[in-house]
Amino acid sequence: MTAAATLLFVTSLGAQASKSGVQEFDPQAFPGQVVDDVVVPVPSEVFSVLDKLGEPNWQQELRDVDFPNTTDRTKLAMIFGVVVAEGFVAVQAEDTEKVKDIGREVIDMATALGLIKSVRPHAQAILDAADKSDWRSIRKEFDQTQKTVRDSMEQMKDMDLSQCVSLGGWLRGTGSVTSVVTKNFSADRAELLNQPMLVEHFLSTIGKMSPKMKEHNTISDVSKGLTFILEKMEGAVDGFTKDAVRDIGKTCDSLLLEIRSAK
Amino acid sequence: MQTKPSLLCRTAAILTASSLIITAPLAMATVDDAHSFAMEAAMPFVEQGFIVREDYWNGEVKSGQKLMVKHQMFKGNEYAFWLGSANSNVKFELKIYDEKGQEISIESKTSGMFASSRVNPPKTGTYTIVFSLASEKENGLFWALAYGYR
Repeated sequence: MTAAATLLFVTSLGAQASKSGVQEFDPQAFPGQVVDDVVVPVPSEVFSVLDKLGEPNWQQELRDVDFPNTTDRTKLAMIFGVVVAEGFVAVQAEDTEKVKDIGREVIDMATALGLIKSVRPHAQAILDAADKSDWRSIRKEFDQTQKTVRDSMEQMKDMDLSQCVSLGGWLRGTGSVTSVVTKNFSADRAELLNQPMLVEHFLSTIGKMSPKMKEHNTISDVSKGLTFILEKMEGAVDGFTKDAVRDIGKTCDSLLLEIRSAK
Repeated sequence: MQTKPSLLCRTAAILTASSLIITAPLAMATVDDAHSFAMEAAMPFVEQGFIVREDYWNGEVKSGQKLMVKHQMFKGNEYAFWLGSANSNVKFELKIYDEKGQEISIESKTSGMFASSRVNPPKTGTYTIVFSLASEKENGLFWALAYGYR
């Protein structure tokens, strides 16, 4: 890496752009290669904006992390995503005990998924950082935990399960955002829900899942819920109304309830 | 009786060994190396409070071929993107566009094995990142694109 430093050569592409005036780009006429992979933002990316727009009571947004025992790996994967997202809420609330509870839940979930070996170092780092109230490190570890689990699933050719982790996390994160926005509605806060590309990505991902996976009751319901959420997002041309935010929140909450149910 | 190698021979041997150490990793360059360089680009940003995401895009691309990724960004955050390559002497291009096709990068830099670009998204929504890597020596180039926010 130090070799790179010796090759230091800095240019300003921005300056070139300003010299040639306003540049416009048409994605439809793009002559190159489109990378289909989508990086789903972690909840704290949205939470950080909500913090800048006011001081949400994150403690009020925390939810119970006692999840039912299940051997359903589809549900386990989604629950894992939900647990990690709950971790981001706990960090926002700076709640040490809750972070520790979630760290322990991460261990239980990873054990149930057969991934404890790769997850344990991250879970331990979360518990250690919680003792020091090192919120920055905890955020990083939650992000790493989710990536490790998804990478492990993908190495085992469980691509569908890996996507379920992202889905669970996104639903929990979005549920929290709608709750905060509904309590203190403003156009700026509501605009954070303008995420149609992510919803389309999840719908497309479900569409590519195996027939067995698509027939799973929860996946089928998540697909219907996401279609409804996408309609609300696409309908918010002039901005989101409080009702639209509430509707998206209710949909997330009902899907999360189903994910958490023991059935 | 053993003869001592001449100073010239020893120097040559040291230089050969050194060049092997230096070139071996490049010869076996991977996307992991590309990500390491992207992370090197991220270091000064981390010092300024940026949080680096663990997920990133990566792959191998033909020299000069343009690549495009779509990404969700939130108004109110500042973002930085770091493009790294495992190959040396690469010319980078990294630009970020809004939904209307207007370039919104506020500061872009290239430096050796990586490039970076900073953005303050004017709206919450989907943005397009267009980038390319060009080399006069190699046809296939490993790349990794990471990002952070604050």
